[in-house]
Amino acid sequence: MSFLQILTLLAAGAGYTLLVTLACIATGLAVGLLVAMLSRVRSRPLQFLLGSFTYVFRGVPVLVLLFLVFFGLPGIGIRVPPLGAMMLSLGLIAGAYLAEVFRGALDAIDQNEIVAAEAMGMSRLQILLSIEVPQMLRFSVPGMLNEFTTVLKYSPFAYTVGIPDIMKQAMALAATTLRGLEIYLAIGLLYFAIYKLILVAVRALERRFRVPGLTPP
Amino acid sequence: MALLEVRNLVKEYDGKTVLAGVDLDLEEGQVKVVMGPSGCGKSTLLRCLNRLIDPTSGQVIFRGEDVTRPDTDVRALRQRIGFVFQHFALYRHLTALENVTLGLRKLRHMPAREANEKAMHELRRMNMHEHADKYPAQLSGGQKQRVAIARALAMDPAVLFFDEPTSALDPLMSREIVAVINQLYLDNVTMLCVTHDLFLAKYISDRVLFLDEGRVRAEGGADQMFSDHDDPRIRAFFGHGPQDR
Repeated sequence: MSFLQILTLLAAGAGYTLLVTLACIATGLAVGLLVAMLSRVRSRPLQFLLGSFTYVFRGVPVLVLLFLVFFGLPGIGIRVPPLGAMMLSLGLIAGAYLAEVFRGALDAIDQNEIVAAEAMGMSRLQILLSIEVPQMLRFSVPGMLNEFTTVLKYSPFAYTVGIPDIMKQAMALAATTLRGLEIYLAIGLLYFAIYKLILVAVRALERRFRVPGLTPP
Repeated sequence: MALLEVRNLVKEYDGKTVLAGVDLDLEEGQVKVVMGPSGCGKSTLLRCLNRLIDPTSGQVIFRGEDVTRPDTDVRALRQRIGFVFQHFALYRHLTALENVTLGLRKLRHMPAREANEKAMHELRRMNMHEHADKYPAQLSGGQKQRVAIARALAMDPAVLFFDEPTSALDPLMSREIVAVINQLYLDNVTMLCVTHDLFLAKYISDRVLFLDEGRVRAEGGADQMFSDHDDPRIRAFFGHGPQDR
């Protein structure tokens, strides 16, 4: 079996790796945006709740949370499918980190612009959607890219809950062929290729929405 | 009838009195300048008038309606008052044109095409139409301020408020803004301008109000205020010390 054949065999799992990564990124983005926006609401109980969320989810290891969801929850009668378990663990953890990225970006917005929008008669929601979010997303690109990459690199945990991703294929192949060195080198290359793909996509988006003079602080 | 009547306006922050009973009248088509030392409450006064800050007591009567009442539609009030800031406060992620159309689209619910036409008209009025597609970072200070004025004018406000419009500009750019404000005066735009730029005050207005320690200390014609005023505080502010007498 040539190295190229090994690569092609493993690539069969790449679709699942990509699926897990994108599903967890989507969860993270949704949760991160929600938490960051709610962090603008002046309510002590809500702030305590959001604070606790980021505190806990940034502190728990991905694998522990994944096992808790996938192997633990069935104990109280809640059965979560493998992809759902990944989203509820890796996705939520990514959400906690992204929430902090977004919160920092929101703080970087010039308060004068917000006052100007208020003086114009815009509502809180209009200001959020027309001024704050568009600037926040642009400021967040470097932080988001970091977090997306982290999600990709935690995605191999998916094999522990039975998702046939690259890692799972590699383990199976290594067990039957005993050619670990080449196989693990091959999956390294595959992960790198996926990383490159995400990088190119994010950079293209960044270029598309770039505004002169509006750079992250 | 006056466009704006302010009666005994008081604003206190944490027990500190910023405005100690201000009275002010602004007629339709009039340009009035409020001057005074830093911290005299000039900016607070403007912000109380459009309820960016809630006054502690007193009345602000806008076209016959008391807008300090709790049931006032504050957002509707603000849409009738154009506000121009010291630091321009243009939305940095939007082009000059988009800065001007934002209010028309979101608040007036104007279709994009109509909003663009209206915005281009205002930009042309400010001689900024050639820069419509530029972002704020690509404009000079004077150009930014002209876009900010176009943005305020696009909403067809009853009055324009200027909060130190030239403080962040060099003298050349300041003169640019003075020319613009004078042009607006000829177009019969009502304006209230807070500044400590003597040049600006002298050339845009015939009525100057001197605010000191939260009170209107004097009001009069620009010439009368700038030349030898009886009040030593005012003389000191405008640069006539005792030795000049």
